[in-house]
Amino acid sequence: MSSRNANILCVCMLLFGALVLAQTTDVRLPGNNQGYEPEQPIAFSHRLHAGELAIDCMYCHFGAQTSRHAGVPPASVCMNCHSTVTAGYDAVLAEREAANDEGRDERRIISDELRKLYDALALDDELRPVAGAEPQRIEWVRVHDLPDYVYFDHRVHVARGLACETCHGPVQSMERVRQYSDLAMGWCVQCHRDQTVVVEGHPDEHASTDCAACHY
Amino acid sequence: MKKHPRKTVLPPFEGTVLLPFEGTESSRRGFLQLVGFGIAGAAISGCSRGPTRHVVPALVPAEGVVPGRPYWIATTCGGCEAGCGVLAKCRDGRPIKLEGNPQHPVSSGGLCPAGQASVLTLYDSRRFEKPLRAGAAVEWEELDPALSAALGALRSGTGRVRLLTGTTNGPSTRTAIGHFLSSFGDARHVTYDGLSCAALLDAHEAAFGRRALPRMRFELARTIVSFDADFLSTWISPVEFTRGYSRGRMLEGDTPRMSMHYQLEGRMSLTGSCADERVRVAPHEEASLLAGLCDLLEVRAGATRRLAGAIESCPRRDVVERIAESLSDSGADSLVVAGSNDVEVQLYACYANHLLGAYGRTLDLDEPSQQRLGDDRALAALRDELAAGAVDVLIVAGANPAYDLPDLDLAAAGQLIVCAEAPDETTAIADWVAPLPHALESWGDAEPRAGVLSLTQPTVPPLRAGRTLRASLARWSEDGRSERELLREHWREAVWPSAQDPGTDFDAFFDAALERGFAQTRVQSGQAWTLSADAVRPTQPSAPAADALTVVLYPKAGVLDGRHAHNPWLQELPDPVTKITWDNYACISPVTAERLDLSEGDIARLEVEGDLAPLELPVHVQRGQDDRVVAVALGYGRLGTDRFADVGPDWIGARPTVAAGGVVGVNAATLVATTAAGLRGFQARSARLTGTGRSSELASTQEHHSLEVPAHLAPPGHEVRDKDIAPRATFEQWQADPATALHGRHHVSGEDLWKEDHAGRVRWGMTIDLARCTGCSACVVGCQAENNVAVVGKDEVRRHREMSWLRIDRYFQGEGDAVSTVHQPMMCQQCDHAPCEAVCPVLATVHSSEGLNQQVYNRCVGTRYCANTCPYKVRRFNWFDYEPIDPLQAAAFNPDVTVRSRGVMEKCSFCVQRIQEAKAEAKRDGRAVRDGEIQPACQQSCPADAITFGDLNDPESRVAVRATDARGYGVLEELNVRPSVRYLSRVDHGQEEDSHDH
Repeated sequence: MSSRNANILCVCMLLFGALVLAQTTDVRLPGNNQGYEPEQPIAFSHRLHAGELAIDCMYCHFGAQTSRHAGVPPASVCMNCHSTVTAGYDAVLAEREAANDEGRDERRIISDELRKLYDALALDDELRPVAGAEPQRIEWVRVHDLPDYVYFDHRVHVARGLACETCHGPVQSMERVRQYSDLAMGWCVQCHRDQTVVVEGHPDEHASTDCAACHY
Repeated sequence: MKKHPRKTVLPPFEGTVLLPFEGTESSRRGFLQLVGFGIAGAAISGCSRGPTRHVVPALVPAEGVVPGRPYWIATTCGGCEAGCGVLAKCRDGRPIKLEGNPQHPVSSGGLCPAGQASVLTLYDSRRFEKPLRAGAAVEWEELDPALSAALGALRSGTGRVRLLTGTTNGPSTRTAIGHFLSSFGDARHVTYDGLSCAALLDAHEAAFGRRALPRMRFELARTIVSFDADFLSTWISPVEFTRGYSRGRMLEGDTPRMSMHYQLEGRMSLTGSCADERVRVAPHEEASLLAGLCDLLEVRAGATRRLAGAIESCPRRDVVERIAESLSDSGADSLVVAGSNDVEVQLYACYANHLLGAYGRTLDLDEPSQQRLGDDRALAALRDELAAGAVDVLIVAGANPAYDLPDLDLAAAGQLIVCAEAPDETTAIADWVAPLPHALESWGDAEPRAGVLSLTQPTVPPLRAGRTLRASLARWSEDGRSERELLREHWREAVWPSAQDPGTDFDAFFDAALERGFAQTRVQSGQAWTLSADAVRPTQPSAPAADALTVVLYPKAGVLDGRHAHNPWLQELPDPVTKITWDNYACISPVTAERLDLSEGDIARLEVEGDLAPLELPVHVQRGQDDRVVAVALGYGRLGTDRFADVGPDWIGARPTVAAGGVVGVNAATLVATTAAGLRGFQARSARLTGTGRSSELASTQEHHSLEVPAHLAPPGHEVRDKDIAPRATFEQWQADPATALHGRHHVSGEDLWKEDHAGRVRWGMTIDLARCTGCSACVVGCQAENNVAVVGKDEVRRHREMSWLRIDRYFQGEGDAVSTVHQPMMCQQCDHAPCEAVCPVLATVHSSEGLNQQVYNRCVGTRYCANTCPYKVRRFNWFDYEPIDPLQAAAFNPDVTVRSRGVMEKCSFCVQRIQEAKAEAKRDGRAVRDGEIQPACQQSCPADAITFGDLNDPESRVAVRATDARGYGVLEELNVRPSVRYLSRVDHGQEEDSHDH
């Protein structure tokens, strides 16, 4: 065997070794972010909001009905509730008890995570605007991120009655949101082949598998 | 915004060295397998997630704005003074595309190239960020008190204040100007237009006693005679006129009609190229021709003979007699227009219309146009005042006199205050610069026609520090109200009381006007307009020296008077007639070129009478031009266009778009003359043209992407003839047999290579009516804006690498007077038997179930086989990453269309993003897509309604009906590629001819 071939084999073995090593850890094909579960600037709990409190997904992600993007809710949506709810129920109860015991007025309790929200909106503990403070934007980390040459449209899928969980998994049980599906093209196409679309006045057909359904 | 696909950063490889195996058989195949495996292994083990991306929602979103969902804001186009209504398509809080507003009384939908491109100017990073004082940036808080104080001092004294603007027809601004100027003892407002129509207004003043520009109704005219007025492209209100013109040439319905259009002109204009009969005349002959025409019309109308005998000295008597007959037959349904800025010529045109009874029919003085208000005589008075040093403060707003009016000594004003959007020749010498906002970020109004009040409203929070003239004047008069308050107050006081449907509540009225984009007021009508014929006098024929050429200065579609010279879309837009990009040039006729021994691209010296520096320009030989005329476009040589030196890719063979230290084109505004009546003359000077021995290559797209097959390569009997690509018939032939133009075409084979495997439920298709298309090129820019089509620069255009998905092929026929033209928009024909699909080795171009020929960028590896095999030559290859010249202009990208990267093929997609959007909305509403709901960008921008799009499988759809028209044919359909675009052959009143040439 020539030394050239030996070198090539050597490199290949080396890569194979790396592959074996990598198999023992979290390995994905390039672009596959399945299982991605980044830390977010505010530890928002989907388990609490979507699971325990059973708030409808569309309440916050209202864009999913009318737009391509489901969207991350603006802070003003959070404030619909959190202008009154400023801390967990347990903490409020504890404060109420303590106030009773000490014979004083109950103080407003603000949880650490909600304080981040109020800080972003430049509100003080009494939820009044802080003079001179500028609101700060909240940079959420994007979990579901399709490549730039793919156009996914939430509104069509929602209109067809597809449950959010079909793609996003059991979000109501996730403390921190995790990418549930691999969001690979094969995964999309599989569903498009299986699903039947009913349009009034026309024979049923499969969801489109045209390239231009997603790529343009 | 979609960016280039991001690159994955691979971390350095770390691993353990293993010993090689002994005695392994090795082959090329095995080697490749191993290498392939190694690369895959490296990819799997080495790859990590791309860079973290963030989602940043608004803290408090704007009302009604849902991320990713488009919305439209009705406003007024700021591209010129025509005041077309637009619907600004916005996404995520910023405008990305302008669409014509179909309800607007002036433009009725459709837009011109300049309007389409004006969205890009919003994102021009050259625009002023701050006011300037003697060239140094200052704050408004510094400028306002200083100017208030300076102006206040003049108020109490006898200071002379002059305000110089372009046409300002916004009633709120005019009121503000009146209010501001009335506070001074000696103040005056002078209006001028870079492309002056002052003579037209002056002629009406002389004839009717009122300086007015009549509303022209081309839709009512059965005979149109135009003396050098380019009304379909650049003259006054091209969108409105094109819409009317195409309505007068309607081949559909029970009463088909086709107006007769005569064009008499020196240069070859777009309007001339659409004319039924085109006659070449030199500018100095226009007065004689019109006088002769009036003479004949006087006889026919039985009017007092004021011009008796004028026909005797008329140069083209046969033509004039024919025109007079046609006009008389049409009677009041006639329209004579002249583009000249010579009062005598305009007076004759007035008189001719009067003799025909056109006033009150095709010309409306009750609802006059206000699209041009410039007064050159007032301008001349200002010039004299400035020369005498008699102006204390000169305020210039929305105009660039230092460029347009080289003989105006602006520096002689005591103080020069300039309101402008971006640096130009005038701001360079200003004492103070007060930035203006872009039309898409400001409040305002316009009254393009009496009684039509068009509103301008912001579509985006101000990107720069601009403030409207209305607000600036108020601030300098110590009035601190906001722009919106000023506008609303004016509307409450002045517009609402005279509105046609005021309702009871002003707020509701104003909101409704904002939603629609306009309001209409009651106009006093029924006034008696009497022409005082005394103004009409016989003409004195003049003739320049026999061998001299007359310079005709004209505006180019898009760039106009130079106001859009900084817009790269418009610079790269091929001129609709010459097809040249990125330049101006001296157009001469083939005969003149031969006489002067000049050929295309030769640099010639243009020496002009008078004490003027000669210009050096490349020569363009233009068929159909008068032999005594040299035509040069205005609007070039603008300060700051050296920024385009670097447009285009940076590589070893690159040549700059602009030579070192130079600008785009040559400034011809210096050649504007002052006529006897004190107006600015655009065709007044005689000149000599001589070669310099040097030459330069013009970036013309005319010979690019030709569908012709050289005769020696074509199989006998299968030569591709222009006549088959763009067939033509006369109106009379069409009436006898609607399919006349298609006779003698190649046999179309019905054979099928494939099973009918794409017989889907819908089949998207398009029809293009060549009898309506004027070649105005609005669709080309509309497509560019919609589909993120890149600008590549002059050098790349020379190399046939322009990226436009939609081009307009221009076919000339005949020579001299007999040149007739067909304009043919050409884009991907979405063939059912697409040759490109068969040759792609990676299936990057495949057919969809809806009849679309899909181009999948992420599959394409750039073999370019498809472009080679495409018979229509509509595929474009990205030789480089063509990035926007101005990084801020990436904000104008359509987020719904991928920005293509290097090495990828692209082409027209039938605006599939719009199809998908309409389908998604229909699905959301639980209904089928309605006919007409999907409009590709080209159809939306077409002012002539030449393009129709829809489902060919639906026999009721408008496109299916048009596709079955007897004029319908497919270009190169003999190849059996089965295009989804059907063209309707051109029909006009022209002559019957056999062959086309290029």
